[in-house]
Amino acid sequence: MEISKIKDFPVNSKSLKEVREFSKEVIGQSELLRDNMDELVLAISEATQNIVKHAYKDNQETTDKMQIKISFKNNKLEIGFFDKGKPVVEEDIKHRSLDDIKPGGLGTYFIQQIMDEVVFKEATGWHNNLVLTKQY
Amino acid sequence: MTYKISRDGDISTIYLTGEIDMDVTDKAKEFIMPVIEEKKEVHLNLKDVEYMDSSGISILIESHQKAMELGTRVVLKEISKSVLKVIMMAKLEQILILE
Repeated sequence: MEISKIKDFPVNSKSLKEVREFSKEVIGQSELLRDNMDELVLAISEATQNIVKHAYKDNQETTDKMQIKISFKNNKLEIGFFDKGKPVVEEDIKHRSLDDIKPGGLGTYFIQQIMDEVVFKEATGWHNNLVLTKQY
Repeated sequence: MTYKISRDGDISTIYLTGEIDMDVTDKAKEFIMPVIEEKKEVHLNLKDVEYMDSSGISILIESHQKAMELGTRVVLKEISKSVLKVIMMAKLEQILILE
């Protein structure tokens, strides 16, 4: 079964619920992905949150849109996030140590736990393109 | 997210319902922290929380730490399956008080 869905969302925290609804709808189309529904929705929501929280940290009133693309082909799930916020410096992305118990810093850890690969790619017309993949 | 607070003797219970994400973090802190500051034991009932992300987990950590500072405690009660999964992914089941 092949899936390929794209949707734009306003860049703000109110979009998170809508992003989750979109994710559930797409993931629900595959029986294989459905078993991982909660974890995948969490990873997608966390990555979206990072765009709002970090890429648009100094531009919270933006009217920009971010785009999410979910594809499933040859048992490989690929989730792309596109935004026009502040370009991400990959070296700066790190989750906190789990032994250092304090609020914050867990979103990236969750994404890394759930997905096989987390990489930033180049995408024409966008400032950031995060790609999450998982092989089934 | 919606909430209800009930007080019974030395225990205050906050019942949370719905989804707890970055969008409701500030609102959640606004009603949870003052209850902890009353220095009674606080029970956070999570039975009807359908979704919690890292922002929600941050609230649980902050609540726990605030209570410890004030010499009281926050106990997580009737944790829904989806929330428990996230708590365990963060390896917080031995840190937070779960009952």
